[in-house]
Amino acid sequence: MTSTEANSILIFHSVHHAIWAESVLRKGGIECKMIPIPRSISSDCGVCVRIASVDESRAAAALSELAEEWRIEPYPARG
Amino acid sequence: MSTVIDARGLSCPQPVINAKRALEGADSIVVIVDNRTAVENVSRMAASQGCAVDVEDKGDGIYLFIRKSSGGQPIAQMTPVECGTVNPAGPTVMVFASDTMGCGNDELGGVLMRSLVHTVGEADDKPDVMVFYNTGVRLAVTGSPVLDDLRLIASKGARILVCGTCLKFFNLTESLAVGNVSNMYEIKELLFSAGRLVRP
Repeated sequence: MTSTEANSILIFHSVHHAIWAESVLRKGGIECKMIPIPRSISSDCGVCVRIASVDESRAAAALSELAEEWRIEPYPARG
Repeated sequence: MSTVIDARGLSCPQPVINAKRALEGADSIVVIVDNRTAVENVSRMAASQGCAVDVEDKGDGIYLFIRKSSGGQPIAQMTPVECGTVNPAGPTVMVFASDTMGCGNDELGGVLMRSLVHTVGEADDKPDVMVFYNTGVRLAVTGSPVLDDLRLIASKGARILVCGTCLKFFNLTESLAVGNVSNMYEIKELLFSAGRLVRP
């Protein structure tokens, strides 16, 4: 995952889920980084997990057991 | 009868502020303070306003008799007040005293710290120096989740100093991955010369 390729962010309802998701993605070999939710997406004081957009489907599969709702958004160039 | 300003017990720069305000409405004032720093700062302010100052230590306080002299002209705009070692023009120093942001829950604190360092990396402004000690040194070694962010911040010109004693304590000396090993003399100088200390 580099700053030049397209990135996506995974947004969860709680920090706990974001922490869990990061751990699951790491174990699955999917490169990711926990970052603050970009301000253009939410004013909440929350964190999200950034991944390379090409890994979206792998990430979705890895996180399939999460019952709670979550979503994927494109990562804006500047939050 | 002079206006009396009792500034005993007040922290710098409050005695100076109170004295300056009183001088705006009076030709002579008496300012009572309880420490030499306040004496020097109030005297300097009075001199900058073209006033004469007599100092008398009366035991219950140090009295400054300040009067506007007839030919006295303000010699300069009031210069920034030096309060002990505070240096407003000094560097902005970020202090990482642990690898978590805040205390209470380490898992949350770790998430917050990563989030903060990432945000500092993305921001246009940067600290002049980042100093890491105690478990904060874990942020600057191989495997740190914020290593890329720290490298980015360093590439923008921030100095990164990492406590050598702490690296040794955690057996991480060989793992330092960003910045320079520092010592307590340098860290002390940095903390005391900072214009702004930011401790997450």
